[in-house]
Amino acid sequence: MIRRAPRGLAEHAPILFPALMLVVFFVIPFSLMIAVSVFRRVPGGFYEPDLVFANYERFLTAFFGGVMSFSLGLAALVAALAVGIAFPFTYRLVRLSRGAQIRWLVFLLSILSLSEVIIGFAWSTLLSRTAGITNLFVALGLMAEPQSLSPSFGALLAGLVYQAFPYTVLVLYPALARLDPYLEEAARTLGSSPLRAFFTVVVPALRNTIVATTIMVFVFALGSYLLPQLLGRPQHWTLSVLITDQAIYQSNMPFAAAMAVFLVLVSLALVGLALLAGRREETA
Amino acid sequence: MSALVLDGLTKRYGPVTAVHGASLRIPHGQFVCLLGPSGCGKTTLLRMIAGLEDPSGGRLLIDGRDITTAPAHTREFGMVFQSLALFPHLTAGENIAYPLRIRGAAKAEQRKRADELLELVRLPGVADRPVSKLSGGQRQRVAIARALALSPKLFLLDEPLSALDAKLREAMQIELKQLQQRLGITTIVVTHDQREAMTMADLVVVMSQGRIHQAAPPMEVYRQPADAFVADFIGMTNLLEGEITAHGAVAVPGGRLHLPNLPPSGPVLLSVRPEDVIVHPAGLDGPNRLDGTLSFMRDLGASVEFRIDVAGREIVALTRPQDRPPVAPGGALSVEFPPAACVVLPPMAERPQ
Amino acid sequence: MNETTGKQGLHAAMTGGIGRRTVLAGAGALAAVAAIGFPNIVRAQSKTLKVGVYGGYFKESFEKHIFPEFSKATGITVEAVAEPTGEAWLVQLEQAARARQAPADVSMMSQVAMLKGAAAELWAPFDLSKIPNAAKVVPHLVNKYPDGKVSGIGAVSWYITLVTNTKSYPQAPQSWAALWDPANKDKLGLLALVSNSFLLEVTAATFFGGTKHLDSEQGQLDCFKKLAELKSNVKLWYRDEAQFEASLKSGEIPMGQYYHDVTGLAAADGQPVRSTFPKEGGILDSGSWAVTRASKAGDLAHVFVDYMCQPSIQALLSRKVGTAPTIDRKLTDLTDQEFAAVSSDIPPIIPRYDLYQSKSDWLNQKWTEMIVG
Repeated sequence: MIRRAPRGLAEHAPILFPALMLVVFFVIPFSLMIAVSVFRRVPGGFYEPDLVFANYERFLTAFFGGVMSFSLGLAALVAALAVGIAFPFTYRLVRLSRGAQIRWLVFLLSILSLSEVIIGFAWSTLLSRTAGITNLFVALGLMAEPQSLSPSFGALLAGLVYQAFPYTVLVLYPALARLDPYLEEAARTLGSSPLRAFFTVVVPALRNTIVATTIMVFVFALGSYLLPQLLGRPQHWTLSVLITDQAIYQSNMPFAAAMAVFLVLVSLALVGLALLAGRREETA
Repeated sequence: MSALVLDGLTKRYGPVTAVHGASLRIPHGQFVCLLGPSGCGKTTLLRMIAGLEDPSGGRLLIDGRDITTAPAHTREFGMVFQSLALFPHLTAGENIAYPLRIRGAAKAEQRKRADELLELVRLPGVADRPVSKLSGGQRQRVAIARALALSPKLFLLDEPLSALDAKLREAMQIELKQLQQRLGITTIVVTHDQREAMTMADLVVVMSQGRIHQAAPPMEVYRQPADAFVADFIGMTNLLEGEITAHGAVAVPGGRLHLPNLPPSGPVLLSVRPEDVIVHPAGLDGPNRLDGTLSFMRDLGASVEFRIDVAGREIVALTRPQDRPPVAPGGALSVEFPPAACVVLPPMAERPQ
Repeated sequence: MNETTGKQGLHAAMTGGIGRRTVLAGAGALAAVAAIGFPNIVRAQSKTLKVGVYGGYFKESFEKHIFPEFSKATGITVEAVAEPTGEAWLVQLEQAARARQAPADVSMMSQVAMLKGAAAELWAPFDLSKIPNAAKVVPHLVNKYPDGKVSGIGAVSWYITLVTNTKSYPQAPQSWAALWDPANKDKLGLLALVSNSFLLEVTAATFFGGTKHLDSEQGQLDCFKKLAELKSNVKLWYRDEAQFEASLKSGEIPMGQYYHDVTGLAAADGQPVRSTFPKEGGILDSGSWAVTRASKAGDLAHVFVDYMCQPSIQALLSRKVGTAPTIDRKLTDLTDQEFAAVSSDIPPIIPRYDLYQSKSDWLNQKWTEMIVG
């Protein structure tokens, strides 16, 4: 095989299709969104082409600043918890027998196939006073009477982490499966307890994978808009919920677009960070 | 005197037994090689010694203290893994200093010890390099240095040289042996390379199918193999099945051999190294000779190899070039088995590959 | 149970909410609209009327109970078009009208959409002389242009009432003021949007003597301030009706606002729920028939709307679809029980749709800040 830069249309063909898809499904919609975000809202109507920044001005208020920082904080917490739980889980998973691994992965994929609505309903039932888990605690004598645990911040967090968990495991899986299993054993022969070996060797050795996965889960959680409605109280509604409100219920496309552009820019900045981390890993 | 004692160590994985009751006493300062084909249980045995596998039975004692169930990190044994298992996020120096860091040693002390050890493995000045920037041989030395950082009581190596090319491997064998002699540390190396075992070890432990067949110094293993497996696995040998006849003689295919020290009766197996087999031109009578025809011959430079068909069995003989009989393939020969060179082995139930 | 969940689609669609089945139906409608751009040769020859109704349960019910009877009676074939939710249908009608196309001749429109369409003069005025039955429609369900021309005529209406779980509340509450009762802390489920909960109107009617109080900005702020007082009583601000309905039935959220007819059906199924018309009145929301000015089947549309306003058809809708009659109940043959299942004689709270047209963004922002803050 001679490696050289492709010449002519025919040799470029293999990348034309993905490039086209990227343009059609990302560049064009995103450009349209940016365009709409500076359009002028016609109250009682829809919107008209224009170049105004009122939508961005409206966004830059303490209220939306508060919602934005809550959304970012929530997404960060979800990412930290999901990775914090999924990492040790996956570390154990890759050491199971092949059959057991396949069963777990099928189970995780089946969670992935659940819609956000179903997850939201399942958790609100699980955390309800009338049919929820506290009834079990009461039966076991751990609680005096059943309590309602949803909607609440804890319920929202649980739902989001549950939803993000399978993604997190599937993203971590290849890196952990490739990790030399003897690293941990080496650390043990050098005087580290298994737990200490995990934290001083396994975790630092996969630092960049962990960072990249955390950012992915963060972006994923940032886009969640159904679970905050189903499991959270209004103060737990994320920016995505408000974008949905504006786009669907208020028909205020310019404002929804302005908020969405802002959210996409934050997401892109974080993906950029992930790529940067990946590059450092390569040079390391 | 400190010693490591394996007392019936056994490891079972479900219905499969990887190690059958391994018993062995390793005196202090010995260089031991666990030698055997892949899957013979040698690595499992080493990992049980290291504390990385829990034995299903038996005991493990060091200096009379039972450490059978002691966790790996309390044993203070240094181990070099086949993959080396260098920590990719640390520099060479940090890798070596890792056990000191775990014990809370000061930064300066860590650095000093890392430099000392790099000196010891003849790799000074690489402490600050990431391990990914080191060559295969350099990594090897870093892994050895790291395992020795705490001056362990026991130095364990799992196929440590298998990743190196032949020339470097040879050099490292010598270096490893010298290092071990300098430190006087009890060392156990797992290898499937008999040459490596023979050149380095004070004690060779030959294993197959989870059992120890023989544990003896290299020359003894070679000259006095305990059974057919050892005889066949270590070097090349001719195995002759025979039946003891009444008067201290063995009937083998193609004739009869007279040997001392034979059991009174029954079937036996004889092992004769090719270099001990003497080749004579046909028709010259003498003791312990069998007639055959030359089927194949090749010149190996330092010696000549003959393959001779004796009553349907192939006998291999190595001769100095100047002793080579004037015969062409297809010609008749006779081969002599000197009694002193014939090792009498118990008969085999099944013939190892 | 199936019927109840189907109705959620209906209400969600009419109030601008988004139910799952209505989203699907909306996608279908888009496809239908795409196909409509061609000249309607076939339709010109036979007498066919394209009627836009919200997709899902609503369209199914109309196709099952209403349209076949209408065709039999008039010889006009109805082509039902599923409308998407929100204001997408309004936008489509506007854009099509500019190209002199009519994706549907008559459409069922929410009241806010009626006002927005009227602002763009999208609706062809009705000639009431051709719709004798329109005289029976209650006045507040007749939409008019500022000059008095009729832009729309009430198609369906329904009530949102005070609902309770009968196990948690053996006594039915009497007034919307129960929502503010400190004893009901963390027990309410209310609709999450200013434009579908109509709680500003409820507040005005309960504490400020009527929805006229919302005329001024000060009045609106009064209502927001009063509403903020019940926040600690609200456990769930819901967008998804099924979530609240399930919680109401189980008693998890034992009080709130919900659709009168759906609650009645659940109670008839044996669920421990009840719907109460508070003394201030239930919230009466509605949809109107309107004809796009691009329609060339105006005469047929008049026949259709007249047919729909007949007492017997209104009674049929009440019985089969669960909507409140748009005409005086005395003109219908509904029994007291049948009438109570969909409506009440207590004067209703009529939403201030004009506000949601003129001050939509401001109200929405205030509302969101009120409940989120």
